[in-house]
Amino acid sequence: MQKIIDTIINKLKSEDEELISLALDEVEQLSDITDDDKIALASTLTLLFYRDHVGMSEMISLANRAEKQITRFGSVVIPFLIDELVNADAESCAHLGRAIAVNGADAIAPLLDVWNKKRADQYALINLTQALAYFRIPEVLQTLPEILGAAESDNYQLSSNAINAMGKLVARLDSNLFDEVLRQQMFDISFARLCDSRSLVRMQAARTLGKLMEKGLLTNTQKERLRTAYRAIVGQDGCNDWDDAYIVRHEAKCYLPLLKTTPTSVAHYQQSFKIISKRALCPDTFHYVIEAPLIARKLQAGQFIIIRPHELSERIPLSICGWDRDEGQIEVVIMSAGKTTIQMNEMEVGDCFKDIVGPLGERSHVRHYRGTCVVIGGGFGTGAIIPTARDLKALGSRVIGVVGARSKDLLIMIDELEAACDEVILTTNDGSAGIQGFVTHALEQIIKDEKRVSHVLAIGPVPMMQAVCELTRPIGIETMVSLNALMVDGTGMCGACRVSIDGKTKFACFHGPDFDGHKVDFDQLTKRQKMFVAEEKQALEIL
Amino acid sequence: MPGKSAKKRSELSNKERMALSFQEMPLIAPEERIKNFEEVPIGYSLEEAITEAKRCIQCKKPDCVDGCPVGIDIPAFIKLIENGDMAEAAKKIREKNFLPAACGRVCPQDKQCQAVCVVGKKKEPVGIGNLERYAADYERQHNTLELPEIPPSTGKRIAIVGAGPAGLTCAYELCIRGHEVVVFEAFHRAGGVLVYGIPRFRLPMDIIDEDIEFLEKIGVKFVYNMIIGKILSLDDLLEQEGFDAVFVASGAGLPKMLDIPGVNANGVYSANEYLTRIYLMQADKFPEYSTPLYQGKKVAVIGAGNTAMDVLRTAKRLGAETTCYYRRSRDEAPARTEELEHAEQEFLNWHWLANPVEFIVDEDNFVKQIRCEKMELSDPDTSGRRKPLPTGKFFTEDVDTVVLSLGCDVNPMIPATDKGVKTNKWGIIIVDEENCQTTKRGVFAGGDAITGGATVILAMGQAKTAAQAIDQYVRN
Repeated sequence: MQKIIDTIINKLKSEDEELISLALDEVEQLSDITDDDKIALASTLTLLFYRDHVGMSEMISLANRAEKQITRFGSVVIPFLIDELVNADAESCAHLGRAIAVNGADAIAPLLDVWNKKRADQYALINLTQALAYFRIPEVLQTLPEILGAAESDNYQLSSNAINAMGKLVARLDSNLFDEVLRQQMFDISFARLCDSRSLVRMQAARTLGKLMEKGLLTNTQKERLRTAYRAIVGQDGCNDWDDAYIVRHEAKCYLPLLKTTPTSVAHYQQSFKIISKRALCPDTFHYVIEAPLIARKLQAGQFIIIRPHELSERIPLSICGWDRDEGQIEVVIMSAGKTTIQMNEMEVGDCFKDIVGPLGERSHVRHYRGTCVVIGGGFGTGAIIPTARDLKALGSRVIGVVGARSKDLLIMIDELEAACDEVILTTNDGSAGIQGFVTHALEQIIKDEKRVSHVLAIGPVPMMQAVCELTRPIGIETMVSLNALMVDGTGMCGACRVSIDGKTKFACFHGPDFDGHKVDFDQLTKRQKMFVAEEKQALEIL
Repeated sequence: MPGKSAKKRSELSNKERMALSFQEMPLIAPEERIKNFEEVPIGYSLEEAITEAKRCIQCKKPDCVDGCPVGIDIPAFIKLIENGDMAEAAKKIREKNFLPAACGRVCPQDKQCQAVCVVGKKKEPVGIGNLERYAADYERQHNTLELPEIPPSTGKRIAIVGAGPAGLTCAYELCIRGHEVVVFEAFHRAGGVLVYGIPRFRLPMDIIDEDIEFLEKIGVKFVYNMIIGKILSLDDLLEQEGFDAVFVASGAGLPKMLDIPGVNANGVYSANEYLTRIYLMQADKFPEYSTPLYQGKKVAVIGAGNTAMDVLRTAKRLGAETTCYYRRSRDEAPARTEELEHAEQEFLNWHWLANPVEFIVDEDNFVKQIRCEKMELSDPDTSGRRKPLPTGKFFTEDVDTVVLSLGCDVNPMIPATDKGVKTNKWGIIIVDEENCQTTKRGVFAGGDAITGGATVILAMGQAKTAAQAIDQYVRN
């Protein structure tokens, strides 16, 4: 028996392809091989994996046949194979990996054992991860923590091998075996690797993510993120910055169509319009923070929204006094003036407005001014000047805020305005705070004191805006006003909000709300605002 | 078709068919109907429908089909009605038109199918609209509507801007081709002009709601309070939101106003504002609904199109003495014949050949009087049109409300926020007529956005053209 084995081993070591082929036939015929012989044979057979097959046409199939024979020897050769594996070259690694993986669960413990011993040897780990990729049994999941760790390695070969192994396991094993934590981990690790500097890693990441998706292991949000990422990779996101590596684009292109078949979710377009916070500014006037992420993302200074608090309500246009794009919140000041605003101010934190539309109207006129800019707020208008003041200041202009009210108690949003301006001047009719008098008194003073006033913005009651315009008109200071005309739809469809600007009819909701104050027909605006006085009174009576 | 029915049909010769008289649509009496917003036409009875269907001579080359903007197989559905197969008739219409109940009510058949009806050359044309309405109502009342088979998802996503007739039609056409469709609507409910512009006595709300529910059932998604151009740009939709194409059906915008003194007076409305306050915001139920409507005792309506008729009849129902002022004569009135006739039955006043030159206001800017110049028509010019010419004679009447019904310009939101979408000098979005493709890649448009104010059915026809082109575009 020993002699037969030795003969075979000698033949296997020969350079002659025919002789090797014969020897492999003989191995196949062998039965009742001792464990020692198995190891001896295996070590000879594995040598075939290293043979240079260039110029030896049969060598590839001989190596495959050798691999097949080794798999017959069972678990006894596993330690030997693993020893070989950790030092193997790339080609042999594949043969050895497959030969080990055939043994299934028996091979897992020895592999993990070696992994622990060779933890510092990255070359060994590269081969070990590759071998793990060939397993088809649930037990291999014991090694997944190691694979995930390796995927985050700085060594790009190890990382790409590990990500590949992850993808292979995902594709081969039942999806139920992966719990939520594991799914999240696999997604996060692979996703992070989409921006690796090595194209090989990006490719493996793109592919593994595709497999995760294909096996239904991703949440809708993850799918949405992946879709966005794939689109960026192939340059479909309009940024003209696609991945420069064809192999990465190719993966993204293969998986992108599959991602699109997930039913369209419109959930992210549904805004709750929930009241996040509410605080009283002065009697009948409240400051609200409202959840409206889509609106918050697009709002610009000077724009407005239309609120319908409940099903039976009218549409109420409101100025915006702030927003938080990250939190997805918008801020408004609501002053009880009629039935609907009173109903709105009865709403509390946690309540939701029925509908909010916006942002509407054009952005405020903002640019860098050499001279001083004065922003003037009266009553509810004080909140509305803050975003524009902030923009003007950000562009490098000197900004002075002026706020007017009947008395000290009615001055609102002063702290917020101070944060947005270089200076804030208060005026009260009764002199209880700041300058006694009107905002125009403060403006006169500013014009006197400042070297040059270039721009004025006034938002508030019509008489106040009109008075400001009368003051600045003779001295030719550019003055913008925000017109709170009556509105229904707010998109330019109904014409309720029409105002006369320089003798021409304009729609405040679409062309405005900001207009050149020196051209506004304030008289007409005042009278048009009184169109529904009788009806409003009637509505209030039954409230 | 079952042989029995076919036999029954052959019982009548064309001569016999031509001998049958037109079945008038039964209406609620004018004295009754001006007191409420109930639908005016009652609808055919079964007998009336079958008799009217018998009047169709089933032309070999039916001109009516070419006269229909969406190409309904009119003789085929009428034949089914004649055979008493109402559900099948409705199904036949639905092959081409998924809003049959609405179109049977609001289509200007007198300028389309019925205008070219061969029977109409000698007698009243076949009541195609009335029959369409009958089949559609039968389907609604007997619940015979079957949901169409939706093919497996193509994975392509299309955004529709505007939930009016064009948007809804395009959504339907794309949905049944297996695409995923999201409709973005600026208002808080779908329907567009069907809701805010067409009175309930012409088109009950149930019908609109059923059509929208139908779309939801087959998988079309609706999102409200979304003004595309502002909250999301077209580029946002195509790039960040991952839509493969966009169909812009944003409809009419900026109403046309007269450039005469007093046009911005209190009590002077555009028809859009007047109708929106009432039909979308339900100002007629003020103060239960809190949108107000200022309307006095004497309402002047300027214009004589379909919308003017709607305003006239609405104002009458709200209790006003109502007068129509139009600078041409009745013959030139652009309104659908039936609308004009129905309006004329409703105790309204008519000032033909009267051109408003001033709205006289009181000290509070409320309109008090309307001053008009009497006009006369010129002889037909080279284009064959008779122009209204000033006579130098004026008259003044007391009014306290004026509604301008002069049409609209196109909604400017999309072209104003996306420079890639080019318009002509009237603000109308320029499209390739073959496929409704705009100047921006992946963006198509239809409805009033590309016509500047037309009919429901024309918008639907364009939406169908666009849907076909979008289907091809996203598949390539």
